[in-house]
Amino acid sequence: MSASERLTVKTDAPRGSRSLTPGPGRWIGRVLAWSVIGVFLLFFVVPIAWLILAPTKTARQLLLDNPFSFGGFETLAANWGELMAFQNGIVWVWLGNATLYTGVALVITLVVSIPAGYALAMVEFRFRRALLVTTLIVMLIPNTALVLPIFLELSALKLVGTPLSVILPFSFFPFGVYLTYIYFSTAVSRDLLNAARIDGAGEFRVFAQVAMPLATPVIALVGFFSLVGNWNNYFLPFVMVPGRKSPIQVGLAELLSNVPLFNPTTAGSVTISLPVLALATILSVAPVLVIFLFSQRFLVSGLTAGGTKE
Amino acid sequence: MAGQHRRKAARILATATAALTVAALAGCAGGSGEVNSDYGFATADQEDGSTITVWVDAAREPVAKAFEEANPDVPISIETYDGNAGGSGSFQTKVALFDQSGEGWPDVVFSTQTNDASWAAKETNGVQAFAAPLNKGYFSDDFLAGFTDGANDPMTVDGSVYGLRNDLAPVVLWYNQKLLDEFGYEIPTTWEEYEAMGEKLAAEHPGYILGSIGDSFVGTYVYYWGAQAPIFALDGNTFSSDFDDPHSVAMTELLDGMAANGTLVQDSVFSAPFVENYSDKIVAMPGPAWYAGALFQNPDSVNAEPGTFGAADPLYWEGEDEVTGNVGGGVWYASSHSKNLDAVETFLEFATSSEESAELNSGLPAYDEAASTWLDAQAESAFFAGDFKAAVQKAAGSVWGGWGFPSFSPETAYAAVVVPALAEGKTIADVVPEWQEQILNEAQVQGYTVE
Amino acid sequence: MPAIYAVVLAFTKNGAFVGIDNFVKVFADYRFWPAVQHVALFVAIWLVSLTLLVVLLALLVHAIRVRWLSSASRFLFYIPGALAGASSVMLWLFLLDPAVSPVAGILQLFGFETFVQTVSIDNLPVIFTLIAFWAGAGGWIIIMYGALNNIPVEVMEAARIDGAGPIGTAWHIQIPLMRKWISYMAVMSLAAGTQLFVEPRVLSQASKGVVPPDYSLNQLAYLFAFRQNDFNGSAAISLLLLVVAAGLSALFVFRGGLFERE
Repeated sequence: MSASERLTVKTDAPRGSRSLTPGPGRWIGRVLAWSVIGVFLLFFVVPIAWLILAPTKTARQLLLDNPFSFGGFETLAANWGELMAFQNGIVWVWLGNATLYTGVALVITLVVSIPAGYALAMVEFRFRRALLVTTLIVMLIPNTALVLPIFLELSALKLVGTPLSVILPFSFFPFGVYLTYIYFSTAVSRDLLNAARIDGAGEFRVFAQVAMPLATPVIALVGFFSLVGNWNNYFLPFVMVPGRKSPIQVGLAELLSNVPLFNPTTAGSVTISLPVLALATILSVAPVLVIFLFSQRFLVSGLTAGGTKE
Repeated sequence: MAGQHRRKAARILATATAALTVAALAGCAGGSGEVNSDYGFATADQEDGSTITVWVDAAREPVAKAFEEANPDVPISIETYDGNAGGSGSFQTKVALFDQSGEGWPDVVFSTQTNDASWAAKETNGVQAFAAPLNKGYFSDDFLAGFTDGANDPMTVDGSVYGLRNDLAPVVLWYNQKLLDEFGYEIPTTWEEYEAMGEKLAAEHPGYILGSIGDSFVGTYVYYWGAQAPIFALDGNTFSSDFDDPHSVAMTELLDGMAANGTLVQDSVFSAPFVENYSDKIVAMPGPAWYAGALFQNPDSVNAEPGTFGAADPLYWEGEDEVTGNVGGGVWYASSHSKNLDAVETFLEFATSSEESAELNSGLPAYDEAASTWLDAQAESAFFAGDFKAAVQKAAGSVWGGWGFPSFSPETAYAAVVVPALAEGKTIADVVPEWQEQILNEAQVQGYTVE
Repeated sequence: MPAIYAVVLAFTKNGAFVGIDNFVKVFADYRFWPAVQHVALFVAIWLVSLTLLVVLLALLVHAIRVRWLSSASRFLFYIPGALAGASSVMLWLFLLDPAVSPVAGILQLFGFETFVQTVSIDNLPVIFTLIAFWAGAGGWIIIMYGALNNIPVEVMEAARIDGAGPIGTAWHIQIPLMRKWISYMAVMSLAAGTQLFVEPRVLSQASKGVVPPDYSLNQLAYLFAFRQNDFNGSAAISLLLLVVAAGLSALFVFRGGLFERE
């Protein structure tokens, strides 16, 4: 937080002086830079814009009208009504489930991976390297290969079908351990920690009182990626929990299967039209984006709080 | 760090337990299952009054709810899932996992696909087949005889019926009465007349069409199946795909000819260009009965005026059997692992043959009585020209039996080979060898003997 | 650990040890080698373009000095990352169909008139790269941006005083200092790339099979396990994938000094 402010403040002054004498080369560079950013912004935004407009149209308008035309608020309301009518608003149940699963998993992930990453980065012990390699390899294993073993494990523990069967695997997040590891090994000065040790603080206190406050950015980062990854995970909850316990992604797939375009053999029982699906999609994405907006400050305020590193 | 270690230890322990459990289960599932002569398969220990779990898709949920209301004494837990929608394979994926863990199976499953018996009726990795055989003492013969002829054929393996058909989707010939009158054409009754009509239409009224070949379910189920082309045949465990059969050759020629003169288009019937360009240009089009709601009556699709379209008897080859194809139709399965087979039976009879089920069915019910009720209700709306009920009923009873139901879909190969080839401007005849190879390859990896 | 169980599966059949039988069977499968080619090509295109573009974009966004502009562009870059699986099926179905696409002009520029032409098999590596980049780059840009913030202001000042322009600073100061993060990104994307699954699955669904359901190795592993009930063959494919991915990432790990602590 403070770091980025410092950055903007510091760079403000030279910019003022430089803009008085902009060389032609600099201008070309700037235009080039802005156009690259602009092109990529379009690349990222155009599809989203289309998606946001989609629920305001009827299925027919969606097919025949200009892609970026705006349909109408009545249509939007009608589509909303149709989505809510689907199995008596089960969409809220799905969202609630997803919130429960990802929320609990988030807490467990943070409690486990932050200390683990810290230990890997700070503590010298015999199997450190081996453990790092193992973590990395686990990350490389294709998920398909892990589904059966995880399923059998949880089935043996009689957990299949319960929220725990989703939450526990969700909480296993080597990516987070790794991020924390890199953060602590690059951004936090060991001198700072050593100083604390010399002051007589025990390892635990060093971690809790010195390292943790410095770790806010990486906690935000790990937390955010865990949240998004789990929110969007389809396959694991799909095999673990049935029907009304499904989170939103499995629910979306169920909606999709009721669109005749994708499942023509059930077209006789049309229940969901494409604009309604688009609406559900937006609804499913909204929580993630809101969280992103609120946490962006922490996410990018620089993984720099470590301060004294030179 | 300590936490990490403890977690690891817990995981290792859990895996070990899991491995042991699997070993133990594999041991008992393989050997001790004794066939219960009342049912014709090895039943689980029955627990009267235990809750049955029923998996349905969103469209079938109302029937399950209706059952719950009508039978408050039968404990039932309704779970909705994607209905095993095309390509998702949910049903098989989940059962495969339950087979591995040895527990957790649902009691009743509704699937929107017709070919699940190909795997559900088989023992896999030593675990008893998921689907219970229904005609070996479980359901009464009277009840089973109430289904439309051939309705349960796709789920019949070696004389055992493993599933009950929910709805039928026979192919009929849809036609636009107004356009036929305007052009002075007759409704074609044979493939030969249909082909001739194509030439005439292309010459006299270019731009008007007689169907689409851009959908893989149309290419395969509507045209080749309806033409009695044995390109997808299964006999026991032997799969064959004969493109040299006169029926196959004739259909390939018909399609290529009509694609060339423009009376068959390549756009999917669900696509924007089709709706935009051809909604009012369809003179006649063979297609499944569910086109009624999905295309003609659908305000987002063709959205026809009442009285414009009608359904006629399906097309056949002149002088040959009057048969047709079929596109889909859902199936109910009972689990052979169920602990409350009585409740399952009550449920399935309700879901397929009750009056409520006829009312709630979105497709043509497979149970004769229910079908009749359903068709009367449709005919009352008087949306369609001609004798809708008679045409659909005739089609429902005359689906060609030579088409196979292996564990893979013919649509995949059509979509992967034929659709792109057509887009490149090739003819179907050009890619027949490639298409056939693709089908046979798929059959082979699924473990069929290929002829 | 589940991983060990997976390895055991790869060498057994119904509980009995069968050596390399599972591997032989997989190699003989007609879908295997095409899938290998598809994945290799995709990973090559994807890895190079992702690394270059993400670093470039992160540098550019980092150079924006107007604060709200910078954070707004990061937000916009990120949005697609929130879409996944089923939600993107519909989006790509429309985007890639010249008849209804909001970017129809661009598709027609390349000579695509129909959806089927757009998703023809030769275009797929590029299309999957586009999809994966669209959905995944935002997250990495944010991580890289954070890493750039991490570079002490003094270092940057020093470079500027030495007369280095923005490009010089980027090349000589910023990129070397981000080395660890870049190699980390490479490893993660390599893993994601070899495990290509979501994108082809989504397109296969959207195109109703014109994009084959067995395009990538991971999809093939999935088909083996859940369509053919052959968990052993599936594990064999996964193990092969793992070995290749581990080998390649070892390269990045050692070149990038990921295990070293400064």
